[in-house]
Amino acid sequence: MATSALPTLPTADVGHGYTTTGLPHRKVAIWAFIGSECMLFASLISTYLIYKGRSVKGPFPHEPWTDPANGHVFKPILNIPVTSCSTFVLLMSSLAMVLALAAVENRDKPKVSLGDKILGSSRLWLLMTALLGITFLGFQAFEFTSFVHEGLSIRTNLFGSSFFTLTGFHGAHVTAGVIWLLTMLAIDFKRGLGPKDALNVDIMALYWHFVDVVWIAIFTLIYLIK
Amino acid sequence: MATIAAPSYAAPADYSVGEGWRSWLGTTDHKKIGYLYFFTALFFLMFGGAEAEMIRWQLRAPNQHFLTAETYNQLFTMHGTTMIFLVVMPLSAAFFNLLIPLQIGARDVAFPRLNAFSYWVYLLGAIFISAPIFFNAAPNAGWFGYAPLTTNAYSPGLNIDFWALGLQILGISSLAAGFNFITTIINMRAPGMNLMRMPMFTWMAFVVQFLIVLAFPVVTVAVVFLVFDRFFGTNFYTIAAGADPLLWQHLFWVFGHPEVYILVLPAFGLVSEVLPTFSRKPLFGYPVMVYSGILIGVLGFGVWAHHMFAVGLGPIADTVFGVTTMLIAIPTGVKIFNWIFTMWGGSIHFTTASMFAIGLVGMFTIGGISGIMHSSPPADLQQTDTYFVVAHFHYVLFGGSLMGLFAGIYYYFPKLTGHLLSERLGQWHFWLNVVGSNLAFFPMHFSGMLGMPRRVYTYDANQGWDTFNMLSTIGAIIVGVASLILVVNILISRKRGAIAGNDPWGAGTLEWSIPSPPPVYNFAHIPRVTSRYPMWDLTSPHLTSDVPHSKAGDQSIEVDVAGVEQGHVGGRTASAQPTAGGRGVPVDSGARIPTAAELGIPIPYTTTKPFFTALGLTVMLSGLPFAHMDKPVVQYVLLFCGASLLVGSLYWWLTSPLEPEVEHPQHTAH
Amino acid sequence: MPLAPRPRRTAAVALTVAAVLVIPLALAACDAKSYPNSTFLPHTEFGQAIDDLWNLLLRIGTAVFIFVEGLLVITIIKYRRRPGAAPPRHVHGNTTLEILWTVIPAVILVFIAVPTVKTIFKTEAKASADALQVEVYGHQWWWEFRYPQYGVTTANELYLPIGRKVNFALRTQDVLHSFWIPQLGGKRDLISNHTNYLWFTPDSSMSTSAWNGTCNEYCGASHANMRFRVFVVPGADFARWATHQAGPAVFNATAVAPTPPPVAPASPAAPPRRTAARSPTGSDGLVHPVAAVVDASGQPSAAPPTEPPTIVQGGIQSASDGDVFPRDSLRPYNIPATPTPDGLTFTAGLVGDASRGQKVYSISACIGCHTIKGNPSSVGITGPNLTHIGSRFTIAAGLYPNDTEHLRLWIKNARRMKPGVLMLTLGLNQTDPQTGATVTAGGLTDQQIADIAAYLQALK
Repeated sequence: MATSALPTLPTADVGHGYTTTGLPHRKVAIWAFIGSECMLFASLISTYLIYKGRSVKGPFPHEPWTDPANGHVFKPILNIPVTSCSTFVLLMSSLAMVLALAAVENRDKPKVSLGDKILGSSRLWLLMTALLGITFLGFQAFEFTSFVHEGLSIRTNLFGSSFFTLTGFHGAHVTAGVIWLLTMLAIDFKRGLGPKDALNVDIMALYWHFVDVVWIAIFTLIYLIK
Repeated sequence: MATIAAPSYAAPADYSVGEGWRSWLGTTDHKKIGYLYFFTALFFLMFGGAEAEMIRWQLRAPNQHFLTAETYNQLFTMHGTTMIFLVVMPLSAAFFNLLIPLQIGARDVAFPRLNAFSYWVYLLGAIFISAPIFFNAAPNAGWFGYAPLTTNAYSPGLNIDFWALGLQILGISSLAAGFNFITTIINMRAPGMNLMRMPMFTWMAFVVQFLIVLAFPVVTVAVVFLVFDRFFGTNFYTIAAGADPLLWQHLFWVFGHPEVYILVLPAFGLVSEVLPTFSRKPLFGYPVMVYSGILIGVLGFGVWAHHMFAVGLGPIADTVFGVTTMLIAIPTGVKIFNWIFTMWGGSIHFTTASMFAIGLVGMFTIGGISGIMHSSPPADLQQTDTYFVVAHFHYVLFGGSLMGLFAGIYYYFPKLTGHLLSERLGQWHFWLNVVGSNLAFFPMHFSGMLGMPRRVYTYDANQGWDTFNMLSTIGAIIVGVASLILVVNILISRKRGAIAGNDPWGAGTLEWSIPSPPPVYNFAHIPRVTSRYPMWDLTSPHLTSDVPHSKAGDQSIEVDVAGVEQGHVGGRTASAQPTAGGRGVPVDSGARIPTAAELGIPIPYTTTKPFFTALGLTVMLSGLPFAHMDKPVVQYVLLFCGASLLVGSLYWWLTSPLEPEVEHPQHTAH
Repeated sequence: MPLAPRPRRTAAVALTVAAVLVIPLALAACDAKSYPNSTFLPHTEFGQAIDDLWNLLLRIGTAVFIFVEGLLVITIIKYRRRPGAAPPRHVHGNTTLEILWTVIPAVILVFIAVPTVKTIFKTEAKASADALQVEVYGHQWWWEFRYPQYGVTTANELYLPIGRKVNFALRTQDVLHSFWIPQLGGKRDLISNHTNYLWFTPDSSMSTSAWNGTCNEYCGASHANMRFRVFVVPGADFARWATHQAGPAVFNATAVAPTPPPVAPASPAAPPRRTAARSPTGSDGLVHPVAAVVDASGQPSAAPPTEPPTIVQGGIQSASDGDVFPRDSLRPYNIPATPTPDGLTFTAGLVGDASRGQKVYSISACIGCHTIKGNPSSVGITGPNLTHIGSRFTIAAGLYPNDTEHLRLWIKNARRMKPGVLMLTLGLNQTDPQTGATVTAGGLTDQQIADIAAYLQALK
């Protein structure tokens, strides 16, 4: 020690990778990030709810509207059966994500039966998660296009602005998640993901589940509650 | 007799990886990043100060023509925006960067490259939002930017585009830093540093990071709506579409009030470090100080509508928000009393640092009392949007935040640079500041209660406001002189100030156990912490003696650190005899600080990837205003280039390792 | 050692600052004449309720201030470092003390909170139905006042009867504004897509008096120039004013001489009030609304004017029936002192002709934005209603006195007179400061402007 002439502080014999909680930094950070994202979506959802029923003209989410200018009748915009399907798809993607993480963590365990092999294939489940995510995005693209055809764009009224912004933000999050999944999948194909990658997959899974949970909130508050 | 080693700032192996501008552009060292934050914020302090001086010069007398209405409106908008987002927050961030790892016994922050990214985003965002003032296109709707004034219908120019996009950029910087520091504080405390042993500055910084990560998303959403309205034709603030302008106000103040505590709690933390050191006594009521800080943070999310008492929320909401606002006075008052009782029974040494800290206690109290006065909604109806409120928040933000940050500057500058600031200039700075700021801000209480509205570029004669405005202007000029003295002091002392040594003040916390400036790895060995003031445990014999940097019996302010005469110090081998009492922790003369390589400590690579990622982000967003200039080609080129740079740099960043592999067993994740 | 950091000096400076600043200012603040917009001298029950709260807050605040700052000063004096003193004992806290300074502030706050909540519910209750209703519309950057019970629409000058509760309905036509008359009570914001309410009763502590009001919510370029005047008059005078204002414009088409050399409008030698009918070209020109004799019955003596299309001519007596506020009751603070922009001048010696002005006005851009009841071509609604503009004391939302000189300059180049204003620059060869364009074809000559000004001034 350079500062030898004075009493020194007691030292701790800890390695370079020591963390106070024992959790890796990225795990702590992703939780902080998710907390922050909660406020983001809370603000977006609140705005939608505050503006619900304040649009001076239609079309509206749950009731038909007749344009006083030309008598054109607009259907209620929201298509709950279709969105229920996409919600189910996104829920299933979370299941696939759980299986993908388990497969990465258990890569080194011996797999005997066909079931073991299927369940233990991280590539399969990562691909499945990504595909389900893409399917959800496909549903959203369909939904957006059909809404525009029915006369609701982001500029039409307060409902359009707040609806497209909210669901668009969610869609952007899903898109980011899909890109993340595909990147992981590429790494898996390139060199295989093992237990040492479990942290990265775990963080991705946390993000994916969060995005999924947000959708449940959106689906309930925006689509189901009239 | 112990002698003093004098590590100088220019010792590259000890402090930085590489030299020259490249080492700054690519640094991931939290201390260098803190240094960058510090000097950038200092620059913007002068910038925002110049704006204030021009505002005050215009208002020195009624019906003046020094500024046009448009220029004035840009200046008052930018003064608020600059001081909040480009001065107080980054100056706090400079201290977060410098101090959090040092105070908790860590070698860096959790994500060093993200930390660099935060700084570069801040710098580029600051340039983005400030530069338009030179083209007469600066934001001009107030720092609060109330809709619908900010919509295209009422603000067709580029001014608001720069403001909205600039806020988004700066928000990204704060959020990234927030995640980083939360992780750092939760996860990088040295063994034994449990939460209730954490230095109070780190505690307040911890609370502030939670406020940042929870409050900034809300304003992000509010500004996203504004950007969408301005660029994509949405209707969030379009009155004709039925929009409610109170949406903006609610979202903005849900962010804006926690923001007040984001601005003031770091200063509270600094004062809680400075006062114990110079009273030679531990912080009074540490647990209560922690809880009151947390309580202020929590209550801070429940009082936002007290900015909106005049908008007609109705009696129930006014009652609720009035009462919660009053409640927040309780933890704040607890802090004031605990500071006073930290000094009570102590041996208070008056250095510039401690005087600024005492100044904060005195001046923040005034801001707190006027705060109570407008927590009462009916009374607020006579006060809101008048100069009374201007007086109030300048006592809070100048008398509170800035005085605390100044205390922190005088206290921690030696840790940052290895050199002490001149006490002589410091005294001038302090006294001019106290006199000037009270002269500037106290009369505003009167001009406000006597009917003068805020945000007016001019006022008529015979309204009874002339004297108060003239006094405020004189005060503002004095504050301006004081600030120039600070800058001169910093620029001179940065290289030529007295050598600080490890611990010029005889302080108790971990950051004073290591050289100044600290070596790149901070701690050669991670310490094991056993108390709140580990250094005092070692040095208690010295603690009882005089504060080290004064000569016995000498009341002069020209006292020097460790007996070394200022300006007589050469290089790192310089040493001198300490005077009676000695220093807290003497160091052997000429002791060499080992390099990281010698100690086998891996140091993150120097990397410019965070810089280019930040650059890509800023370039991408700077494309948008061109949409309002009918230059779609420029717009799309910038959008495309920026996005490419952003994605490319980010990918490059994420796929490259942070630091060299080491043989130390890696801690594995569960 | 001029700057030795000695605690006594800290205390001395603090006390000196307090003594020098606070005490004289505090005493001075109670002086109504010097501080015409003081919130400390309320003239309504609303203002009084707030002032009562304020007095409580000020007392408690002062006590807390003295206690805390005193404790701080005592502490830093008593416990300053002394050479050779024993080292301080390491005290880490004191539970009793800490509980004490948590509980005592809480108790103090109860004493603030209870009257606060009472006042909230008292002042935010609904106004009684018999109150005078005034609709306030904020515009960038002027005020529109409508009295639906009287059919009156006016701008920037508000007349209120003493002793009658007035209920303001506050709305905005564009961005947010805030309505404030400091001497009459607290402010309330004007929020788009909302209607806010504010009520108070100008009490009998006032005789006939005039107050200044301001916009208090930042609303863009000329936020500082969005002012208004409030005239508080006895009930009978108010009724007379309202009756007159409800009627169409009446003007005397006599040629108007330019204003004599500008005299300080606040000159104490103001013309005597209620002179008998006199020529509008009287000694003070048409600077002021000319008071006239009201006939014995107190009723307007002119026959109700026939509504469009004819424009009522003549009738000097009736032209001043609505003049209920004597000009000499104006105080210096009611009279704008805004300097006119450099380089904006008007041809000297021009005499305006109101009849000619009426014709020019009726075919110019003016009619696109302004309404003059009685002039069928002038029905625009985006600008202030000018029906009785000749009876107003100020123009441009309280920015300039309503005299010949300022009115002419205003018409010539309003955008130089008031930054950002929506009214176009009309004068021939004038440069519009917002667009940088110079007005050529269709611009008004100085003679035309003088005529229009004469016409407007005659609209009593």
